[in-house]
Amino acid sequence: MRDYRTSYLVIWRVMDVLEAVFAKALPKGGGRMTPYFMLTPAFILVGALAVGLLYIGDSSLRVLDRTTFLFSDYYTLENYSRAFTERFTYTIIWRSLFGAVMVTVLTLALALPYAYVMVRTHSSVLRKLLLIALFLPFFIGQVVRAYGWLIILGTQGIVNDAIGLVGVEPIRLLFNYPAVLFGLVQYMLPFGVLMLAPAMTAIPEEVEAAAGSLGANWSKTIWHIVLPMAKPGLIGAGIVVLTLSLTDFAMPAILGGGSQDFIANAIYDQFFRTSDQGFGSALTIILIAIGSMMVGVVFMVFGAGTLALGRDEK
Amino acid sequence: MSIFTLSAPTLVVLGASFTSGNIIQFPPDGFSLKWYWAIIGEQHLRDAFVRSLQVAVICVLISLPAGTLAGIALSKYVIRGGNAIQVYLLLPFTIPLIGSGIGLMLFFGQIGILGNLWPVGIATAVINIPFMIWAVSSSAASLDPDLELAAMSCGAGPVQTFFNVTLPAVMPGVITGSLLMFILSLNEFLVSLLLVDARIVTLPVQIYNSIRSIITPDLAAVSVVFIAMATLAIVLLDKLVGLEIFLKSK
Repeated sequence: MRDYRTSYLVIWRVMDVLEAVFAKALPKGGGRMTPYFMLTPAFILVGALAVGLLYIGDSSLRVLDRTTFLFSDYYTLENYSRAFTERFTYTIIWRSLFGAVMVTVLTLALALPYAYVMVRTHSSVLRKLLLIALFLPFFIGQVVRAYGWLIILGTQGIVNDAIGLVGVEPIRLLFNYPAVLFGLVQYMLPFGVLMLAPAMTAIPEEVEAAAGSLGANWSKTIWHIVLPMAKPGLIGAGIVVLTLSLTDFAMPAILGGGSQDFIANAIYDQFFRTSDQGFGSALTIILIAIGSMMVGVVFMVFGAGTLALGRDEK
Repeated sequence: MSIFTLSAPTLVVLGASFTSGNIIQFPPDGFSLKWYWAIIGEQHLRDAFVRSLQVAVICVLISLPAGTLAGIALSKYVIRGGNAIQVYLLLPFTIPLIGSGIGLMLFFGQIGILGNLWPVGIATAVINIPFMIWAVSSSAASLDPDLELAAMSCGAGPVQTFFNVTLPAVMPGVITGSLLMFILSLNEFLVSLLLVDARIVTLPVQIYNSIRSIITPDLAAVSVVFIAMATLAIVLLDKLVGLEIFLKSK
């Protein structure tokens, strides 16, 4: 038999103290301000980012004096005008933009059937398998996956060994543009599928069956039913993949071997090789501007899709 | 079926990481665990791994309360200026990682906390916090306001109501979010690269640096450590909330 005198649990005592503290701090409860109090910690966290952006903006307006290696104490737009006159900037911006668009198209084309099968299959084993095949690379991280590609595609790698068996000379599969794009597509695929899957679930299977019973064949059903109804998911996934691949650092750095730099690599080099913080900051601002413009264009043309936090979505 | 071609790259990487775990040449000449013994013996790899774990723990400790509260607030209340708040809270996703990393580097440098490990944890919490908010707010559908009122009318204070009624309702989201935060923070490369110096490199940065100099078989063994962590996270996720939660339409 339990002794009831001591059974006033410790956790209850803790609760009492907490309630007392809470009542002391907010005598009338949170009232209408409650949600704002709850949002405060997250606000402060993101605030660090906002402050960081201000620092970037500030140093992008200061120019490096190459004789003293000090930054000017006056503001100037010189870094920006330099960025827009140098050929180098256009090369890397074009390379990143084109790469991001290509990666997005390829990723969506691969993610759509994957998500479709994953949602529609009646075999729970297959679904679980597809989910695991998706989450494992998602959870492994970029560097390790890029390392895997180095092993597979290297001159001593698996692919070259395989084609060597049929008498083909080793070819250089790494450190070129397609290798970077390939790595990026594989990196983005889990993001794409995970953003698409909920939108796919939202399409009732009956609608497809109805289209079928009205005489639509398989390709017509996909084109007229599935694609239009998956549009919000496609937009959401597209935006995420587009911005992530536009701004990626690791894949161009590892699979491009320094010859296929994207904007992020150029920014890194400005900070850590050239030590020109001002020019690097200007490039960062330009990258943020390009990224936001691209998202803005997609929003205006296609709408916001599934990208929304909280209750607006429901 | 197209799914096989789709999952092929994933599976190939997997296979490659596993087979090459023992020897770097292909085809491998024999199976051995000697590289695993090698990495256990290597102090700098062990230290880097412990540092990565510390960063991930700090990240979860910070983002769990912040993200849970924000997620509940966003889904439970109609908030004035809600759209502006959403745009603001999505900043970590809309600002490119290199921008966030550089910004935090300048900010942390200015207030003189660079060179420590905990700011890296804070940074990974900041850049991934939308995942946490997302996870919690999407599981808040099962949150019944009447239940909270019932608890209150039975004499529970606001704190007790929160811990005994509100929090359990969004628990699947909290678990999903925390696991995501932990694993993303553990793997975080670019922001780590920008915020650490030679004394406090994390494991992804250590691997990156080693790839650049020379590719040795022990790296493959280290990669398997990450794969093992990922597998563990997936098993946990599946057991605790079920992977199918990600297929749910919101």
